[in-house]
Amino acid sequence: MNCFAGIDIGSTAIKIVIINEELEILGSKIAGSGSMFYKYAKENLELLLKEVDLKKENLKYIVSTGYGRKLFKEADETISEITANAIGARYAGKEFGTIRTIINLGGQDSKAISLDEEGNVVNFAMNDRCAAGTGKFLDVAAAKLEIGVEELGEYHFKSRGTPLPINSTCAVFAESEIISLLGNEHKVEDIVTGIHYSIAKRIIRLAKKVGLNDVIYFDGGPALNKGLVEAIEFELGRRLAIPKNPQITTALGAAILAKEAYEEL
Amino acid sequence: MQKEWGLKMTNRLRKMEDPKTRHRRHEAMEAVKILDSLKNDFKDNLESMSYFYDLYEKIYCKGEKLHFDKPTVGTMCIQVPYEIIYAADAVPVRLCNGFYTDEQLGGEFMPTKSCSLVKATLGMLSNKDIPAAQKLDLVIHPTTCDQKTKAISMIEDMGYEMYHLEFPRVKESEESREYWRRTIRKFTKDLQKELGVKINRKKVKESIKKVGKAQKIYHDLNELRKLKPSPILGKDMFLITNAFFFDDIEKWTEAVKRVYKEVKEKAKAKYNPAGKRSPRILYTGSPPIFPNLKLPMMIELADGIIVADESCSANRLLNDMVSVDEWFMYDMVDSIADRYLKGCTCPIFTQNEDRKRRLKELIIDYEVEGVVYQSFAGCQVYEMEQRSIAKEMESLGIPMLYVESDYSPAQGGQLSTRIEAFIESLKVRRRKKR
Repeated sequence: MNCFAGIDIGSTAIKIVIINEELEILGSKIAGSGSMFYKYAKENLELLLKEVDLKKENLKYIVSTGYGRKLFKEADETISEITANAIGARYAGKEFGTIRTIINLGGQDSKAISLDEEGNVVNFAMNDRCAAGTGKFLDVAAAKLEIGVEELGEYHFKSRGTPLPINSTCAVFAESEIISLLGNEHKVEDIVTGIHYSIAKRIIRLAKKVGLNDVIYFDGGPALNKGLVEAIEFELGRRLAIPKNPQITTALGAAILAKEAYEEL
Repeated sequence: MQKEWGLKMTNRLRKMEDPKTRHRRHEAMEAVKILDSLKNDFKDNLESMSYFYDLYEKIYCKGEKLHFDKPTVGTMCIQVPYEIIYAADAVPVRLCNGFYTDEQLGGEFMPTKSCSLVKATLGMLSNKDIPAAQKLDLVIHPTTCDQKTKAISMIEDMGYEMYHLEFPRVKESEESREYWRRTIRKFTKDLQKELGVKINRKKVKESIKKVGKAQKIYHDLNELRKLKPSPILGKDMFLITNAFFFDDIEKWTEAVKRVYKEVKEKAKAKYNPAGKRSPRILYTGSPPIFPNLKLPMMIELADGIIVADESCSANRLLNDMVSVDEWFMYDMVDSIADRYLKGCTCPIFTQNEDRKRRLKELIIDYEVEGVVYQSFAGCQVYEMEQRSIAKEMESLGIPMLYVESDYSPAQGGQLSTRIEAFIESLKVRRRKKR
């Protein structure tokens, strides 16, 4: 059986997707990227192959994407995460209609991509290096509040007050804002909602730069955070389309591209 | 015990470099790194380009001195008329700088939010051992952007002799034209006094021809970039134009002639230094100055090719020639003045229709498929103008990528992702058009 792999080596996690010729997902894996991107990517690809009961020979083409894409020497091709994200989102979000706008929050960056009717990237915007409003920001905030990052959603819905404004555009300054809010005896849940709304405002500003069209799709790890999703939807005044497994869309896009590239050979 | 420690300390201090030597060493390290990448990261380099690689190595890595036999005049912007300086038997050296080392140094006494180029230029000038600053008899400063204008008094405090060239901010009016002409006439007189030389008709005529020759061969070479595939990489063109900042103009002209010959020869066989499907890019905005060529290099390493540029360190520098009707002293000086005002497409002007027009022309003539617009963080004029240029590009249906950057080498990962995604989207666009 011919199968294809897409590997998204991000700043916080490595995502691997293996698909077959019918574009069905045979298996996927998410692992921390740690400090040795290349080693972990290789190890996890081998593990995943074992899990789905496939051999290396079955893997016809591999496309890598994400920050560490160039370090993964086994890849037949590399592609930027923006293109891969667009392809993956278009496929994973079929059920929602034609996706024209993608919002993606990653470990280190936030992106907004706008697509044309055929799904090609027309325009995109990315945060300029600083980590405000990214997954990293949620990590930092959760650590300061002494809760797990996966608990943020829960806390969001506990809040009964108005969200506390977090105004800093820098992750480090925002952390000190959180500290001073804690110092003023504000509740953790109210601070959490404040964080979510501040991220929502930032990402919407970025998305407006590329234009908001039709179905707005949201993916990346932070899309699992229901509180953040609610904040973005509230600020946007519209519903978001979120796939079942929002972390792996970019890797899926890379896998689809691997299949297409293999067929073009 | 105490004594021993003290002794050890003095020995260590004695071994330590003085800050000026360290500054020079850091600059050299930066230059070596970029030169290596320019030479080795691209497939078959042009043979004739070795003149330029060697030139940069001599000046920036080995610290060789510039033009020691002639009076040297530093220039702060492209509006300084080179023809007049050559007519005064002096050599112009452009001081705009691209070193991260110098940007860091300038950051010690400049506002954090100021532009990288201005910071780096002042950082460089603060150490008089640096080649470009070694022997400056005079520094000429056209009153262009606010940051440079305010930086002047700081340069003066460093002990350089400054000359202010009053530059108008509106170029469409007859008043500004007359004002600028008067500025240049006065400058011609003052320069003679400053340098103790005589500028006459013959010398001005000669220097107009000398600069004209350099422009002519540059235009010829630039013309070759219109070919499909374009036979020369943008990174080489930037190196060539950057060398015009400080090289002997006649040697420079000869070297460009050799590049032209080689490129023309290679172009006959449809030579393509880029990839098969490389999108044709127009570069504009804040000037890439050696060694800060990171953005042009990133574009071409991501499989794009820069076929045209509109920046004051490249095309804008050599774009228009002096056109003279009558070869009398005042006619020539006025014509020179006109060239530097009317042809200038600097964003400091109140209105900038001319820059839009020039960009449009370049897009059509060079069959450009995408525009990369760089603005140094802190360079307000380019940051502000970005919006109107983006609108213009949208109306033309040309995708534009706006990048805000500085001289920091740490920006690599994210920037290259953006550049790659942009190039990928241009490739898809092209496929669809077919």
